[in-house]
Amino acid sequence: MRPLNENDVTAEELFVNRRKFLKLGAAGLVANSAVMDLLAKEFMPKANLQYVKDSNPEQLVLNSFEQITSYNNFYEFTTSKEGVKYLAHTLKTDPWSIEIDGLVEKPFVIDVQDLIKKYTLQERIYRFRCVEGWSMVVPWVGFELSQLIKDVKVLSKAKYIRFETKYDDEMFPDQSRGLFAALDYPYAEGLRLDEAMNPLSLMAVGLYGKTLENQNGAPLRLVVPWKYGFKSIKSISKISFVEKEPLNSWQKSNPNEYGFFANVNPEVDHPRWSQKRERVLGQLFKQRTLMFNGYEKEVAHLYKNMDLTRYF
Amino acid sequence: MRWLLFIGLLLPALITSWQVFFAQNITDPIKYIYTVTGTTSIILLFATTTLSLIKNRVNLITYRRQIGLFGFFYALLHFLNFLIFDMQLDIVFAFEETLDKPFIYLGMVAFLILLFMASTSTKKLFAKYNKYHKALYVALILVTVHFVMAQKSLNMAQYFYLVLIGFILFFKFKQRLHF
Repeated sequence: MRPLNENDVTAEELFVNRRKFLKLGAAGLVANSAVMDLLAKEFMPKANLQYVKDSNPEQLVLNSFEQITSYNNFYEFTTSKEGVKYLAHTLKTDPWSIEIDGLVEKPFVIDVQDLIKKYTLQERIYRFRCVEGWSMVVPWVGFELSQLIKDVKVLSKAKYIRFETKYDDEMFPDQSRGLFAALDYPYAEGLRLDEAMNPLSLMAVGLYGKTLENQNGAPLRLVVPWKYGFKSIKSISKISFVEKEPLNSWQKSNPNEYGFFANVNPEVDHPRWSQKRERVLGQLFKQRTLMFNGYEKEVAHLYKNMDLTRYF
Repeated sequence: MRWLLFIGLLLPALITSWQVFFAQNITDPIKYIYTVTGTTSIILLFATTTLSLIKNRVNLITYRRQIGLFGFFYALLHFLNFLIFDMQLDIVFAFEETLDKPFIYLGMVAFLILLFMASTSTKKLFAKYNKYHKALYVALILVTVHFVMAQKSLNMAQYFYLVLIGFILFFKFKQRLHF
């Protein structure tokens, strides 16, 4: 062992004052987090929805309103995730009618505000995982899709539910680009009826207590938290009950890479991206992705006899 | 001029570092670093090949090596982003991913070509190896495919970009083969 010399000894003055240093450091930290809280509140929207709060039993750390509303995939506007926010003002959500058709006793059209009024809204703090490998935690506000399904009197022949976004090139610039459009429109998505009936499947109308911003899929969107984000179709204008598995937009555009189920599954890679880990928005380092995005307990039974590498 | 160019070419890296590590105002840093370093690298590498196309109008050939090396520098940052932030230094996982995903191994092959070219770019070694530097064209084709595969779907700006790349390659081959 090296003998101690003069340099190894803390000067007496410093030694006496070290508590002060520690306290200063701690005070600095507190002030910092208080300032951060204030800053976060400043960007917080004014809540305008009445809803039952989620107690957040898993203590998920929420992404900020700013992050959730500034980084969006909404290909009808642009493929740039940062750009959607600035273009989404062309989406006009009032008036907005929703058509419900297919295998129901009586097809009908309803104004979205009337539809929403029928249900008690609840907050749902969910993980949201994009197939591209990023994720966030969002405090959605909405109602269970199962409530809607029970109310519309679906015929027993119906096995699937199909959703469609509006086709209107005045509202959605990419729809008028023809051959150069990023996708085939209108955007469509689907769920098996038992998936749609699962209590986790949510029709969202707001987040952080405020009605949805256009870029987040106003006025009404689907949220299926155990599936990749593209299943959670935005700005729904039509809901159909059908017998056969509907073809969703991404499956249509590239069937080798996007399937019908699109369950979050760290064991099954996308052909280009590993799905084992994810980048939580705002974080530099990645975290492990959970089976069914952490909702295994609630949904694994839906797929118990299925080969998930085949039905991806 | 050389120093001005040096600073100019370094700017994307400096600005990105500032945003990611100090301002911390980037929502998805790993993706952002990939995008900035990837596009900068592609642009610089293609720029080096266009210098000889326009040399009769403006002769910038003396800067070719510098621009090319910066192209490699950004490819290196791109690779380091993959290894450090994306793979979190899990070398085995990074290796498996590379072998598994065509999109990644095409990028890797291109990177190895650039690594070879950068390391033989000194005056002495260049004299010996310059005939192999034509491999740049292979690298350019690979990075273009790599770029296209990285997109979930192509948008208008990207189609425009591909057409531009097509033009450059066409004129390069025309110049090389004198047809």
